[in-house]
Amino acid sequence: MSTTTVQAFAAKRVRPRAFQIITQGTMHLVLLLLCATALIPFIWSLLASFKYFKELNTSTDFFPKVWTLRNYEEIITRAGFLDALRNSTIVAVVVTICVLLTSSALGYIFAKYQFPGKDKLFTVLLSTLMLPFAVVLVPLYITIVSFGLHNQLTGIIVTAVWSTFGIFMMRQFMESIPSELIDAARIDGASEFRIYGQIIVPLSAAPLAALAVFTFLGQWDSYLWPLVVINSPDKQTLPLLLAGLRSLYWSRYDLWTAGSMLTILPVMTLYLFASKYFIQGVAMTGIRG
Amino acid sequence: MSSAMTALSSSNSAADSNRRGWRRELRRVLRRPQFWFAVIVLVPTLLWYFVFQLWPMVRSFHTAVVAYKILEPWNSPFVGLDNFRQLAENQFFLPAVLNTLKWAVLNFALMLPICLAVSVTLSKIRRGRNFYQALIYLPVVMSLVAITLLFRMLLDPDVGQFNRFLNAIGLPGSTWLRDESSAMLTMAGIAVWKSMGIYVVILTAGLLNIPSELYDAARVDGANGWTEFQYITLPLLGHTLTLVTTMLVIGGLQEFTLPSLLTGGGPGISTLMANMLIYSEAFENLRFGTATAMAILQLILILFVTRVLMRLITPKWSY
Repeated sequence: MSTTTVQAFAAKRVRPRAFQIITQGTMHLVLLLLCATALIPFIWSLLASFKYFKELNTSTDFFPKVWTLRNYEEIITRAGFLDALRNSTIVAVVVTICVLLTSSALGYIFAKYQFPGKDKLFTVLLSTLMLPFAVVLVPLYITIVSFGLHNQLTGIIVTAVWSTFGIFMMRQFMESIPSELIDAARIDGASEFRIYGQIIVPLSAAPLAALAVFTFLGQWDSYLWPLVVINSPDKQTLPLLLAGLRSLYWSRYDLWTAGSMLTILPVMTLYLFASKYFIQGVAMTGIRG
Repeated sequence: MSSAMTALSSSNSAADSNRRGWRRELRRVLRRPQFWFAVIVLVPTLLWYFVFQLWPMVRSFHTAVVAYKILEPWNSPFVGLDNFRQLAENQFFLPAVLNTLKWAVLNFALMLPICLAVSVTLSKIRRGRNFYQALIYLPVVMSLVAITLLFRMLLDPDVGQFNRFLNAIGLPGSTWLRDESSAMLTMAGIAVWKSMGIYVVILTAGLLNIPSELYDAARVDGANGWTEFQYITLPLLGHTLTLVTTMLVIGGLQEFTLPSLLTGGGPGISTLMANMLIYSEAFENLRFGTATAMAILQLILILFVTRVLMRLITPKWSY
């Protein structure tokens, strides 16, 4: 009986390399097809942004017959693209820096400090993650108006400076920093700020990078809240500008593609160089049991 | 004299040392540098959370039960559940709620199987995993607002590329976003295209965490692909699946940008969703009371759904 099971097992294991090659090959094919589906709308739109409006609507060719930069010119000069770009960049950069600072400091405190009520406080903070934004939307706007920050970039920034998700993520990571390291630094006489700045932060470079990328992307793409806060065109962020194209430049598809490309390309270039950090952050949220 | 003094001091010493101990303890805490670091960090934090999270939350309960006067909010009269009643009489209320529920289910039902299939495939190939993951994740980093514009253009039934491509290979075009029957499905397709990367990454990370010895052991016991999926993969993915399901459903219930920009509520009101209604009530009709009432209903719905999800899909085993 034992020989037959061994034989059966061996047969399954040694089963044709050909079979394996076919299965692996099919899987690769399917994945390549999937990647093509992910890329094609984008590539088509990229090429379309160089087409004249008339050609866009009539020809079905992939590549433009006549290349032109006119769409980009028009969107930059006539539609106030540079202002929106400046605004979006300011908001995204400032918020990202602040979130990195606050999340790492609070992550450090919640991971390494002991004080009465620490766990309860953390649970309360975490519960804010469960709050749907719509509940807070109207009263938050009223609050912002009462501070005089409506229609200001500061109004957008100030509501995003602390990120509960960031705190959670940093605490998660910092728990794995050996406490002996911190104790040794304290014995050597380092101040808390030095410990934070010269030990904790450098050690957390990886999750900080992932958090930075995540926050930047979130702010760059944020639509609802800026829509509520901002009402003048010179303070618009990129998503607001693009949304406005629908009504101002109804079915001017050539401008739409140019504007969309200009919005997508900065982040995409960043992504092509640092895709590891983008993906790492997401994977880390999933691994936590 | 000295003995009397010592007698006095010793008789009070028990009570004294307690009180003195309390103050000494406090002084010791205050002297620790960690205390000050924690204070400097926590005080602004608590302030911010109070002003920008807690207070608005409390205010929203207040706004929902008064006839809110924008110009003099403190004079708003209490009207009980009147805002809720007005909301229920709003002709858009029921369609919005139904659409939102429909969307959450559709989003989940479409996204999870596809992403799971892709992740399983990714976990089985030997090489190139990072390459594929990086490409599949690419749509995630494209700005959603830009994507909605692009797809609106591509899905235009007359001049859009999708229909022209279908016609070129001999198939009839579709009405995509212009028709009530196809709009929400099309929107779901776009959502899957855009966010597939996130869930594929999470699920693949979870799948790769399953020790391969389990699969080898199952092979020896004669399991084929399907049974090993059923009895090893799925149970061990329990936590990850819970996370993904929660993200999909709760996120789906709060969808705003995609329907708002893609269809503006859809042909008719077939893609009008809860958050869009809240926004229009608050900032187009300036009816803060009903808007907040709707938001609170949404909160209750989300809490309820979360509870149900926790009950239904908490994995029985933990690894």
